[in-house]
Amino acid sequence: MILDALILQSKLFLSEDMGIEIHDITIDELNPDKLILKDYTSMIGTGGNLNSMIIISYDSNLLNQLVTLFMDGEEVAEEELAEVIDSVSGETINTIIGLALPTFPNRGKGVTITPPITINDASNIKKYKNSKIVSANITTQFGELSISAVGSEDSIK
Amino acid sequence: MLKVLIVDDSLIIRKKITSLLEKLGHEVVFSAKNGQEAIDAYNEMKPDLVTMDITMPDMDGITAVKHIIKDNVDAKIIMVTSHGQEDMVIKSIQAGAVGYMLKPITEDKLASAIGEVFIQYAVDEEDEDLDILDDEI
Repeated sequence: MILDALILQSKLFLSEDMGIEIHDITIDELNPDKLILKDYTSMIGTGGNLNSMIIISYDSNLLNQLVTLFMDGEEVAEEELAEVIDSVSGETINTIIGLALPTFPNRGKGVTITPPITINDASNIKKYKNSKIVSANITTQFGELSISAVGSEDSIK
Repeated sequence: MLKVLIVDDSLIIRKKITSLLEKLGHEVVFSAKNGQEAIDAYNEMKPDLVTMDITMPDMDGITAVKHIIKDNVDAKIIMVTSHGQEDMVIKSIQAGAVGYMLKPITEDKLASAIGEVFIQYAVDEEDEDLDILDDEI
């Protein structure tokens, strides 16, 4: 249910807000033990009535395209580029979760979210003990994006 | 032209709001990255308007609103937030914010949010003037 909401809002954000063509969406049905991360990754923790980590991971070409669209024609200074890329990555997951929250169980009431964290030096995230990973891959004209949630079986079913 | 303080931990959002405000003819006097910077900047610069993010590290937007309003009851603060944070928006309004704007931010949304705040303020001032006039009569 949470993954469905995240996929829908990712799709709407990319296609309607950003004007990016979506070619394919696949859901990982295998309950993986670990998430293989792409070039750039941001995550947001949810707390209160839903304890989970929501993770978005991008091919660099897709994230670069999002940066161009966010900047709306404005030049990015070389010394600011890394921070701008992290900021766009974080803002994208922030927006997707914000849009998805009302469709979470109990309409997302009582769910708190942390500011986004960017992790670029990790290649994967492993689940711990009884936690579960749900994940989907969205293929666009500029590359792929994966959206995933990690939490207890009950919280992210 | 309004003097505006932008508060958001996201560089891209600070840049976006700055660009839109400048297009609308306003001046950005400072961009703060968290609530504490916002309080310090507000007290130093006394801007006409603040755009305030809610979820920020170190000090969130609602706490910052409370601190700013405590010493500046007429401060005009618009919350910038995502869908799904309605509870937070209500808390912000209870803390003293005068409006809110949902992301993604566009020029129209920003102009409309600013317009609503200042129209409301003008109406309130007009009502006060009429009250004074009534008293005089």
